[in-house]
Amino acid sequence: MSLTRKNIFIFFLLLSSVFVGCKKESSLSNSQVVIAIPSDIERINPLFAFSINEANINELLFLSLVKHSWDKNEGDLKTEPMLANSWEWNSDSSSITLELRSDVKWSDGIPLTIDDVIFSFDVYSDPAVESYLYGSFLNFYTDKDSHIIEEKTFEKLSETRLKIYFAPESSPSLFNLDFPIVPKHIFDKMPRKEIATAKESFAPVTSGPFMFEKWEKNQAIIIKQNPKSFLHKEGNVGRIIFKVVPDYNSRLTQLKNNEVDLAEYIKPEDVGDLKKSDSFVITSLKGREYDYLGWNNLDKEIYKKNKGIAPNKFFSSVKVRQALSMALNRNEVVTSYLRGYGELANSPISPIFKNAVNEKLQPFTFDLEKAKTLLAEEGWNDKDQNGILEKNGEEFKFTLTISSNNPRRIFAATLFKNTLKQIGIEMNIEQLELGMLIDKINNKSADAWMASWIIPIPLDLKFSWYSNLATTPMNFPSYQNKELDDLLDKLEAKISKQQKNELYKKIENILYRDQPVTFLYWIDNVVAYNKKIKNIEVTPLGTVHHCWLWR
Amino acid sequence: MRNRFSAFNFFFLLLLMTVVIRLQLLVKTGLLLVSYLIFLLTDFDKAVGQFSFGLADCFTSLLFLAVIPLLFFSKKKKLSGFKSFSFSSYAVAVILYVFLFAPIIANSHYDFQKDISVTRLLSPFSSVKVLHLKTNGNERGQLNKFLSRKKEVVKNSFDEGVIFVDSFFVTETGVSYFQSGLKNHLPLSSFELSEGRPKTNTKLFLLGSDELGRDVFSRIIYGTRISILVGLCAVMLSLIIGVSLGFLAGLSGGIIDLLLSRINDMFLTFPVIFFIILILAFFGNSFVSVIVVLGFSGWMSLFRIVKGEVVSLKNKDYFITANQLGLSSARLFFKEALPVIATPVIVNTVFQFGNVVLSESALSFLGLGVGNEYPTWGAMINSGQEYLSQAWWMIFVPGLAIVLTLVTINDFGKKLAQYFNPRLHA
Amino acid sequence: MKRSIFALSCIKRAATSVLILFLTVSFLFVLVRIAPGNPSQKYLSPNLSPQLIEKVKSSFQLDKPVAEQYISFLKNAFTGDFGVSYNYHRPVSGVIFEVLPFTILFSLSAFTIQFVGGLFLAFWAFHTHKKSLDKFLSRGSIFLYAVPSFVSGVFFIYLFSVQLKLFPSSGVKSVGAFDGNFLILALDYFHHLFLPVIVLAFTGLPVYFKYFKESFEENQQKLYTVYLRAIGVSERKIYLSHIIPNSLNSIIAYAGVDLGILFSGALITEVVFSLPGMGRLAVNAIFERDYPLIIGCTLTAGLLVIITNLIADLIRMKIDKRLAKGLIN
Repeated sequence: MSLTRKNIFIFFLLLSSVFVGCKKESSLSNSQVVIAIPSDIERINPLFAFSINEANINELLFLSLVKHSWDKNEGDLKTEPMLANSWEWNSDSSSITLELRSDVKWSDGIPLTIDDVIFSFDVYSDPAVESYLYGSFLNFYTDKDSHIIEEKTFEKLSETRLKIYFAPESSPSLFNLDFPIVPKHIFDKMPRKEIATAKESFAPVTSGPFMFEKWEKNQAIIIKQNPKSFLHKEGNVGRIIFKVVPDYNSRLTQLKNNEVDLAEYIKPEDVGDLKKSDSFVITSLKGREYDYLGWNNLDKEIYKKNKGIAPNKFFSSVKVRQALSMALNRNEVVTSYLRGYGELANSPISPIFKNAVNEKLQPFTFDLEKAKTLLAEEGWNDKDQNGILEKNGEEFKFTLTISSNNPRRIFAATLFKNTLKQIGIEMNIEQLELGMLIDKINNKSADAWMASWIIPIPLDLKFSWYSNLATTPMNFPSYQNKELDDLLDKLEAKISKQQKNELYKKIENILYRDQPVTFLYWIDNVVAYNKKIKNIEVTPLGTVHHCWLWR
Repeated sequence: MRNRFSAFNFFFLLLLMTVVIRLQLLVKTGLLLVSYLIFLLTDFDKAVGQFSFGLADCFTSLLFLAVIPLLFFSKKKKLSGFKSFSFSSYAVAVILYVFLFAPIIANSHYDFQKDISVTRLLSPFSSVKVLHLKTNGNERGQLNKFLSRKKEVVKNSFDEGVIFVDSFFVTETGVSYFQSGLKNHLPLSSFELSEGRPKTNTKLFLLGSDELGRDVFSRIIYGTRISILVGLCAVMLSLIIGVSLGFLAGLSGGIIDLLLSRINDMFLTFPVIFFIILILAFFGNSFVSVIVVLGFSGWMSLFRIVKGEVVSLKNKDYFITANQLGLSSARLFFKEALPVIATPVIVNTVFQFGNVVLSESALSFLGLGVGNEYPTWGAMINSGQEYLSQAWWMIFVPGLAIVLTLVTINDFGKKLAQYFNPRLHA
Repeated sequence: MKRSIFALSCIKRAATSVLILFLTVSFLFVLVRIAPGNPSQKYLSPNLSPQLIEKVKSSFQLDKPVAEQYISFLKNAFTGDFGVSYNYHRPVSGVIFEVLPFTILFSLSAFTIQFVGGLFLAFWAFHTHKKSLDKFLSRGSIFLYAVPSFVSGVFFIYLFSVQLKLFPSSGVKSVGAFDGNFLILALDYFHHLFLPVIVLAFTGLPVYFKYFKESFEENQQKLYTVYLRAIGVSERKIYLSHIIPNSLNSIIAYAGVDLGILFSGALITEVVFSLPGMGRLAVNAIFERDYPLIIGCTLTAGLLVIITNLIADLIRMKIDKRLAKGLIN
């Protein structure tokens, strides 16, 4: 007996020594920043920067020809020089001449040359590589596999001067040149198919203001300042640790304990708590993501049979969709869930595009009476008074599909279900695992669903609003409108900014009037970081960028 | 003397309590039933149109409340053998009680929520002021009478007639009320009044509320019901599969036996949870699919027991005789085998039931159970995890419910085994 | 002679298990491919061109008939190549080997606590003859048995991480501990893994406690114990070299299966504490529709069960020998 008691005592002694041994690592030096990310990245290779974190890290490790940042006043992108010191368009902007820097070296000491640049265009557009830009070089001379034709596109004027020719009838911009350049001497020696799994995709040779230091799988990615970079400035942040913390609560706790210096996607309800401690800067990234409630404009049964197009018995009527938009108490979600970190949406054009957005549009107000009237006008009445509307013997019952791991949408769906019930519409909520949800939306077999779009910058609407369902797989609601198609086509021609903005406003009016989906609200990405980090600029382009300027 | 107060008496006590506390509701339910029956006779089509699950639920609960005491008194002598059960039988009584009378016990619909800013994340025992809005109900005709009665009895997930407020005061122009700092104003005429002031009472959140302002107590009550229901259905399925396959393997032997036993081995030695997750994630997790998957993955121990019993039975004289007499397999099974294997099978089924309840809550915790459609313990804990530092009751209450239920089921199984085989407790 | 028969039956069992595993994997291979949804969905984004999705589909070979895919999978699997994970872009075996050390460390430490703790407590409860203690431990074990790991896990996080701030709530090590010496690193691991190991151990502890106790009680009544006592062998010796080994024999067979399942079955605990183990890897692979990794994880999980079973059998053989020897003496 005494033996066991002694053992227990020793155990507790050991245990207490552990707590003494594990001090808080709050004393991280000023030159180091720890950024919490929710999941580990897959590769560190700019060719495959599919996720936002991968793209962020790669932009710090690799230089691009030019770089874009956000001009708040104009509400548009502005271009800054990077590898290309200067550039010059020809008169009809069918070609551009770039003047490249000559002082850039890869991290293994080999100089970065024009050949790397040409190689990058080649490899990004190569079908065998499957890079994230594959298929998007529409403004260039490409073969039928979308591979850039080198001879037609590039002209090497000197060791530092490069001329790039664009395809006729295209409307190129500098944004087409903004992607990280990859090292030719590394990736040229292996078959193109193997780049995806090569060891250099996990421990890269880099050229940017930061260098790769270490990647502890599932734990952290560490990058450090590159003192040889022309962007290097003494005294700025020397090391950035991207720490993988999958659980949201842990991220928050670690932020409070100074184990993490920056975290994104803070829940609005936790902001108050963070503000109390006075050691954090809380800011938000506005207008990049909106939630919407999609109405299937097609009859799902007929589509399933032979991809036939027939109107949906509930949602193909404009008035019904308008009524539904009025019957959703979106404002309650904005006030009680988003708590001001969001605003009602009218259309897919974000308010950050100051010149394109139509500010005259007023959000649909929550009005159950008006919704009822609109529905009655369309023939939906509750004749048998069982609480559910019907029309031609068909009751207004449908299923809303949402993903099972998004608390915000579960919150909103629960609210909407109740208000719809008040006007006699029965909406069941079906929560699916994300993969199944996407499959269902993709096959157009959902009645209604809630999801979000992160809007691309520069603005692009065609990918989700063009009527041709075969070429526009992301037109999930299958909304088809000839008038809208014409406007979208016109946007692609060579026209002035002024004309473009006019077109955007027209498009907005149509989408607002027809409510092909109910645009719910713009969601802010709330960012909190430790006050010790200076010079961070959170713009619609993101939080983690231009980190070489952080102090 | 202690044994005199058996679990059945306890059950009656619970029933009695319910009747006392919820007398008003019960009377209303009775009236509703009567008016529905009249309605059925006068206007059949419309009445059928009014029929809903919630309505049926209330009526069945009422019927159970009336029928169960009668049943017990008529069969009292037969059941007296169970008297010696202690804690577990009381707990079983409670679980059964909750399972049967959920709509009467719960004080609101499990999805009921209104005015989130006022009602979210309330701690246990807090209550909220309620203001009643005037509703334009015209009391004419059979249908409207029925509808207004129904509204009082059948709980709904919404109620446009009430507002939850933090505080309010009456001014000359109307009523001003506050909802978490926001001031709103409505004219006096839109409220139901008593003595010139708006009618007001409070709503008690016995076990607190969740992030959507839903009453945790009601959700637990309904959650118990769902968990038990899933458990019962899945166990039934396991029982059918396990017993029939076990009987088949035991009786026929040879290659069928070998094949079934190997499959059984595979299920026993493999991390089955892996398969369950895979199938539910790939094919969707509805109420039915969860039951089917859990039922199919729980037949192993029953198979083994039944097979073992049947193999030993095969060598018994009376069985051989029966077989030689030319009894069909089905008759062999029901007449000869079933009485012998019943005891171990029942005991095992109870334990299996516990396993299924546990698995379902774990799946709901991962977002793959039935918790996406209905309130379940696992899903409640899962959503409570997000509010760990703010609302402990969101995980403690369902956690406690799971633990107590599982303790009860296991204990009950053990007691049952002892009851059938007193030698076990040597 | 007897031992060789035993060994033969062990080998036979292992062989059938391998066959069953092969069938399981084949079944899964087909199942995941006929299920709705596919891995190219994750390339559905406004930033990517629709062309890319088609490209990815064909490079995953998902545009070919299932039978053809299966044959090419078998061919490759025969040479030990289980394909490249869709999400990790590395060979599946490499990805699994990366989490395997942690999985084994985690499961084995929990298992050790379960087994040794169960043995110790059972011995304590049985040996002291104190009715109250026995009752307390039995009641406690029934209660513990009914606590699911996600309940105890969340509860511990609430108590020790959120309220008392004693232990971290997730992960296996701190970022600062990369370059520390071995001792600090080990302490850091201990600090992070303390709660999860306890939670995982609690799920099996009552089972072993019950098994050991029942086994002790059973052996106590056996004739050989009575005989040994009668001829004056000390109590200590009876326990250490007779009752305990004898009880171990049957329990180890169970433990073999149990440990095998624990390796990948700890997934709930891994999810609660965000630990990088086999279970979570497998669940993520399922959610992300990483077909090769799903197959790889299934295979590994099955193999681990077979291996632990074999080890358990070997241990039983060893104990049997000692037991025989002891009886002869």
